[in-house]
Amino acid sequence: MASITTSHSPSLSVTLHSKLTAVSSEPTGSGKTHHELSALDRAMAQHTLHMVFYYRDQDELFGLYDLDSWRESLSTVLTMYPTMTGRLLLEQGHDGNWQVRCNDAGVRVVKGSVDGTLSEWLNSATASQEKLLASWNHMPIDPTTWSPFRIQVSNFKEGGVAIGISCSHMLADLTCLASFIKSWTLVHRNLPITNPPSFTPLPFSPSPQPLSNGHAKPPPPQQAKDMANATFKFSSSTMQQCLSNIHDICPNATPFDFLCALFWTRISHLKPLKNNDQTHSLSICIDFRKKLLKEPIPFGYFGNALHFTMLSLEGEDLGSVVSAVNRHLAGIEEEEIRCAIERLGSSNRCMYGEELTCVCMESLPYEAKFSDNEKPVHVSCHVGNVAGKGLIMVMPSCEEGLARTVTVMLPHEELAELIKDEAILQLDPTTLLSDI
Amino acid sequence: MPPMLPDFSNSVKLKYVKLGYQYLVNHIITLTLVPIMLGVSIEILRLGPQEILNLWNSLHFNLVQILCSAFLIIFVATVYFMSKPRTIYLVDYACFKPPVTCRVPFATFMEHSRLILKNNPKSVEFQMRILERSGLGEETCLPPAIHYIPPKPTMEAARGEAELVIFSAMDSLFKKTGLKPKDIDILIVNCSLFSPTPSLSAMVINKYKLRSNIKSFNLSGMGCSAGLISIDLARDLLQVHPNSNAVVVSTEIITPNYYQGNERAMLLPNCLFRMGGAAILLSNRRSERRRAKYRLVHVVRTHKGADDKAYRCVFEEEDKEGKVGISLSKDLMAIAGEALKSNITTMGPLVLPASEQLLFLLTLIGRKIFNPKWKPYIPDFKQAFEHFCIHAGGRAVIDELQKNLQLSTEHVEASRMTLHRFGNTSSSSLWYELNYIESKGRMKKGDRVWQIAFGSGFKCNSAVWKCNKTIKTPIDGPWADCIDRYPVHIPEIVKL
Repeated sequence: MASITTSHSPSLSVTLHSKLTAVSSEPTGSGKTHHELSALDRAMAQHTLHMVFYYRDQDELFGLYDLDSWRESLSTVLTMYPTMTGRLLLEQGHDGNWQVRCNDAGVRVVKGSVDGTLSEWLNSATASQEKLLASWNHMPIDPTTWSPFRIQVSNFKEGGVAIGISCSHMLADLTCLASFIKSWTLVHRNLPITNPPSFTPLPFSPSPQPLSNGHAKPPPPQQAKDMANATFKFSSSTMQQCLSNIHDICPNATPFDFLCALFWTRISHLKPLKNNDQTHSLSICIDFRKKLLKEPIPFGYFGNALHFTMLSLEGEDLGSVVSAVNRHLAGIEEEEIRCAIERLGSSNRCMYGEELTCVCMESLPYEAKFSDNEKPVHVSCHVGNVAGKGLIMVMPSCEEGLARTVTVMLPHEELAELIKDEAILQLDPTTLLSDI
Repeated sequence: MPPMLPDFSNSVKLKYVKLGYQYLVNHIITLTLVPIMLGVSIEILRLGPQEILNLWNSLHFNLVQILCSAFLIIFVATVYFMSKPRTIYLVDYACFKPPVTCRVPFATFMEHSRLILKNNPKSVEFQMRILERSGLGEETCLPPAIHYIPPKPTMEAARGEAELVIFSAMDSLFKKTGLKPKDIDILIVNCSLFSPTPSLSAMVINKYKLRSNIKSFNLSGMGCSAGLISIDLARDLLQVHPNSNAVVVSTEIITPNYYQGNERAMLLPNCLFRMGGAAILLSNRRSERRRAKYRLVHVVRTHKGADDKAYRCVFEEEDKEGKVGISLSKDLMAIAGEALKSNITTMGPLVLPASEQLLFLLTLIGRKIFNPKWKPYIPDFKQAFEHFCIHAGGRAVIDELQKNLQLSTEHVEASRMTLHRFGNTSSSSLWYELNYIESKGRMKKGDRVWQIAFGSGFKCNSAVWKCNKTIKTPIDGPWADCIDRYPVHIPEIVKL
């Protein structure tokens, strides 16, 4: 039986000290002045993304702040990402859609400090406290002086640092955000960039349609309901065991297939059924970089490259659900992705959470190492403005191999039940950064 | 076509006439001496050797006369050599290159301006108009404290900036010249607006553990022309102390003086002043003769402070809300023009070739005696100097001087490009400009450079240097990574 830490240290608080603007080391130049956002980018307008990377910082790279070398490497890497240092503006004309003006204005960098140690934090902080490590400023009506990207560097007592990065989901998805941090660390260590950013548009975009309800508006700041978060870490050996258990039913199941099916079935249990309908729907979000057959999009594509695919199932047998998920994902073709993008309409609906959503993130944020021998201790991801049905995110873990970290966002009562669920507890997960 | 040809041939004739006149007047001594020498030698040849010997014998020298003449000659020669001022060599200099994290693109500057002055859109508009027409580029730098929203101009941050700029420049100077800290005999630091206790020169002495009998000076409050005032002071000291090294550090610390209010005349410096600094090694040691880059020829200082308008034209005061800022008056350009006229009136006779001086004298006499309506003759300073370093105080200053001195685009290129790449770095801008000329490979042995600086007070100071050895490119300096991109065309108005 796993033990759940429920004690929260009330003394852990995050203080924000100052904010400044970090700029790229070289001017953008007259080449790239405006970046068009794709239809997929605009569809994500309601959401924000937040990632927090925790490091022990044994080499004390983050001590001095103004004269630190990470400031220089940040400026150097920002030169390669002109859309990050730009500002959002509405297109002229009746379309009124968002685009990015690449004017070198820079990204906001916020300095914070935590009055506890890194270990204390990881043991007892809640997810709502963690939001303070990637603090966010909501988009105002006029975003010309608003930075769509925000980086926060928070120092812990006795060493340790948390690097938080937040952005509007219109400009990036989780893969390219993690890719950016990895590029930053590579520049810091004077190594060549493995996935240089690419801004060439997606090979298929529908012709720009005017918005159904007039001008695009900034997204509302509030969450839909009283949502709570919790993170579960499953070790590599546990996953190995689980996959071998269902090997007969689904021989090539991946850890994602398994965890997605597991959480889906357990959460469906807890959800109130509507109209006595036994079917449960799940929206699976995958990254289609490098998955397209004809013209693969480079892994460094900077923008949204997500595909949301619906799956409905009756029944609760874990094995069959795993194989259903596996089959569904294997069967996704380019045509399906193209159609989904062409059907995207206005930018005022939530892409995450209108149905229970499960995000598959296979990129490796644990490769972002500021020192040659120090991986992040933990990486957290959050999506802002998720609608009421909830969100499951399956990500890699610090421990390599088959280990996975699952972050679940659900209404408060449902999450409280899920944490006590037997099927999950059987797998001996480590719970951390939980609101319960 | 017959009608056009006369004009063309006229102008060609005029050019040759001018050249002929200049050659005649400038070499008048040679031209008069040569016929005399020729005459004498013809006479000697005519007389023959026997006649010359008879002439020699008839002179009746006796021992006393020979000794007296010899002593007289030796005495005169000694007095001459003793009273000759020591030659001051500029061994080398180093300019501070700001880190890339300090860069301020236009968009960032305007964004911060909008966020901080959100209740004063008119002031924001004013700053935008200034920035559009300023002639600055996207790579100028402000100190780290100013990048915060709102800026954090603490004393600690100001000291931090001073340490960053000055120590960086000094380290660079030590590396370039091989100078050892204990060999510095004279240290002069000039920084107009930041004057802590202990002084910045004490800060340098502390950091590099300089000797206890060093002669250190710290000049503050003297404006953008303080760099040349420091050079003048160093020159005077080096006349008194033989075999000495003098290090001059010129900089301006922006952190404590970033204006936080919204008075328009005081917001102007925020748009133009940027981070920069330079360290210069001067010496009167004869051993430096070989490797020194320049020799100091003249320093001319002009102070117009006696005039009230000139005195108040750059004035530090409090605005209505009690915030301190530097207010620039609207007659700045006119006063600068007057100060420049004063300066070149003194400078002219020292540097202009005889042909120009004669013309100026003749026109002056003509205006006084014959007809006051004659146009005053503006001497052609291009004949006295190969290179010009005009303090990059702002685009208007450079335009004004280009017009007054009738300089070509290439002459003011160093100033304009320095303004574009580094902004107005106050007293150190002259050194960035000199470095630009060197980096472009234009500095040859024997070239004369004129550095002109303006400053609050109102002062106009000039220094004239003569290049001691041709400087080969590529050279290490703040322009090393970007010199190939220059010169750039700077539009009248940059669209922001």
